[in-house]
Amino acid sequence: MDPILSVLHLQKIYGGRGSRTRALSDLSFDVAPGEFVGIMGASGSGKTTLLNCVSTIDRPTAGSIIIAGEDITALRGRALSRFRRERLGFIFQDCNLLDTLTAFENIALALTILKAPAGEIEDRVQKAAGLLGLDRVLDKYPYQLSGGECQRVAAARAIITKPALILADEPTGALDSKSARMLLTQLAQLNRETGATILMVTHDAFTASWCHRILFIRDGTLHQVLRRENMDRRAFFARILGVVGQMEGDGADVL
Amino acid sequence: MFCKLAARNVKRSIRDYSVYFLTLTFGVCIFYTFNSLDAQPAMRYLQSTNAGMVGAILQLMDILSVFVAVVLGCLILYANTFLMRRRKRELGLYLMLGLPQSKVSLLLILETLLIGVLALVTGLALGQFLAQGLSALTLTMFDLRLDELQFVFSTRAIGKTCLYFGVIFLVVMAFTGLQISRTKLIDLIRGARKNEEMRQIPLGAAVALFLLGLALVGTAYAMLLIRGLLRVDDLFWLMLAMGTAGTLLIFRSLSGFLLRLAKSHKALYYKGLNMFVLRQFSSRVHTTYLSMTVICLLLLLAIGITACSVGMNDTIGQLTEQSAPYDFTIQNYGGDVNPMDLPGLLEKEGFSAGQSLQGTVDCFLYYNDSAVTGISEDESGAALSLSDYNALMELQGKEELVLDGGNLPRLSETPFCTGSCGFERYVVVPDDMTPSLSVRRQVWSGYYAGDKQDTENALQAAMKELNSDESGMLKLETRLDIYIETMGSKVLVLFVGLYAGMVFLVAAAAVLALQQLTQATDNIPRYRILARLGVEARMRDRSVLSQVALSFFLPLSLAVVHAVVGMKAANAVISQVGRVDSVRNSIITALLLLAVYGTYFLATYWGSRRIVRGNS
Repeated sequence: MDPILSVLHLQKIYGGRGSRTRALSDLSFDVAPGEFVGIMGASGSGKTTLLNCVSTIDRPTAGSIIIAGEDITALRGRALSRFRRERLGFIFQDCNLLDTLTAFENIALALTILKAPAGEIEDRVQKAAGLLGLDRVLDKYPYQLSGGECQRVAAARAIITKPALILADEPTGALDSKSARMLLTQLAQLNRETGATILMVTHDAFTASWCHRILFIRDGTLHQVLRRENMDRRAFFARILGVVGQMEGDGADVL
Repeated sequence: MFCKLAARNVKRSIRDYSVYFLTLTFGVCIFYTFNSLDAQPAMRYLQSTNAGMVGAILQLMDILSVFVAVVLGCLILYANTFLMRRRKRELGLYLMLGLPQSKVSLLLILETLLIGVLALVTGLALGQFLAQGLSALTLTMFDLRLDELQFVFSTRAIGKTCLYFGVIFLVVMAFTGLQISRTKLIDLIRGARKNEEMRQIPLGAAVALFLLGLALVGTAYAMLLIRGLLRVDDLFWLMLAMGTAGTLLIFRSLSGFLLRLAKSHKALYYKGLNMFVLRQFSSRVHTTYLSMTVICLLLLLAIGITACSVGMNDTIGQLTEQSAPYDFTIQNYGGDVNPMDLPGLLEKEGFSAGQSLQGTVDCFLYYNDSAVTGISEDESGAALSLSDYNALMELQGKEELVLDGGNLPRLSETPFCTGSCGFERYVVVPDDMTPSLSVRRQVWSGYYAGDKQDTENALQAAMKELNSDESGMLKLETRLDIYIETMGSKVLVLFVGLYAGMVFLVAAAAVLALQQLTQATDNIPRYRILARLGVEARMRDRSVLSQVALSFFLPLSLAVVHAVVGMKAANAVISQVGRVDSVRNSIITALLLLAVYGTYFLATYWGSRRIVRGNS
């Protein structure tokens, strides 16, 4: 199967003459359709830069990013906005819901800006909300929702447009462990049942243990890849901790 | 170094300052224009003939200017507070970097000074143009044509404007300095934190409130139209209260009502960002409905005052025509016992009636006696013979009013002399009836030959001499006199109306603009989310435009409706003395309104768009 996301020799250099910071250097990887991929790394490793490049918020210095057959580094202006709203779905750490809209309207907004026919909006919102167990909270405003519910509303908003790729940036970062577990269970279920492709950035090993495959990034390059295969989640969690520990140990050697 | 930082700050945030700057500039401009009246050619002309009236106008303008300065001062303080709030973090940073508070205060004072001087210069320059326009307007009102173009330039007004606004700036600077020296760093750093809590009334209640508001306003309208404008009693205040309360309720519930309406039209509600715009609007309404009501009422005042003063003006103009059909009228109150040969007497004083006058009619006014005429003395106390009446009408060039002698005696209302004769109506009687009536006074009317102003001066001089001989039994009234008199009140009404109307308008628009800009700042994160979701810049701009347009044009449209109804009632009052020329004054009002309000609208839209685009 063709990969849904191909990152080829990606480079990102910040700053101009005199002070150059290499955030990403020659990073390449593929994500297959229906995969649930995690990206891990310490802060400053370049994982956020990578996500910003893939989500078209930032532009790479060199290399290409191909999503569903389209090279997004070649897109400009309106085509970029269009690509972002039609092909990508986002879940952010601070859920980024509009506080003036109800949960229902927040989810529906993703459809209305796609100019979806008004008649089918309510059905589609109900369905997406059902998948994430949100039926009871649809009429509430974000300030009336718990952190976990907010994140699930954001997830529903991300999947409702049937994007090629869902990008999640530390989705459990602001959640307590119970809500985090519930959100991840539902994301994994979403991935299983609808075949949604998810790329998730996290620094938390527990969160990462729900993924199929984890890319460890260090100093802007791909450091190691870990596959879950048929391991159960506990075992996978232990392996992840092992890699994280090893990477931190390497760092200590430098000292 | 410090001045450089201040100058750079102003340059960088010139668009943040735009509404502040606009308000200052408009304020200076209006203030200068209405204080430079003394330099207008029309006013100088008026002064040469009627100095008392000009003095009264200028004095009233002076008093009004104090009031205007206070309003503008408060407005500028409000705008300044808004700017400060927007720059809290920047100021906090200066303090955190170790700049002493006194220096930060100094920095802000310098910035205020810079903006103030800039606005003063721009406003005065703009004021020059506006003053020319106003001068041209007064000149056309007087039907004066000047041989050469006279430039209106009043050093007195410039000095006064500088003085008043200097004081305002000083107060603002003192206030700014005080504010900085008393704030705590923690508050400045946390300046961006918002404590807006969401409170919304249920949709059903909103609809009910909206209908109640409509009913209240409707009742107030009905009362106004039925009772008229000028019956000031308890019911009048009740009417005002109901109108205000209705307006308040309409604004309080409008967003909920619109939301309800839109929600039942799914194609509309689920189209683009409509949902977002409506929700945005209704989430703000509990903080804005009060100011929207105040703004609506201010706009109503601005529209009403401007329109009525322009309309009144035309009415007064028509009155002059009516009350002065001849160039002059001399009434001899001693005519019953001592009829005079007025031309002969004037000749003795050096005024040649034969050469200087043309088309004169000398006649007697009689006491009306109901026993003779059959018309009650309550109806009218004066009578004219048919031939005198017809001669007078012919002199006026009103052939169609000449009577053929049938149907007499009868009442007439057509003015038969220039100035006041003391009667609204008089009886026209057949010539053969006059011997049985007693003479009331002698009336001599006519037109000037040759240059009107010269003849007027000569006649006035001669009459003064004559009257001192005849112990004041003669009264001369001339068209030019009456003209100047009515013109004076005309100008007074127009100036006061325009001045007050424009200040109210600027106040309303500035408050609205500042509120919108504050909201735009609060909206930055929301628009950032929209951008992340892939909403194009164009679509976001349109959403900003709808939000600003909603808040600008909702109060305006209700104010226009109020004003239309109010002017209908006012018309009923004014039509007793004349009629408001509604088309012309509506257009003038609309243009003035559009220019000022439109400028604020655009400045606010651009400002909000820039704030929202900022760093998304």
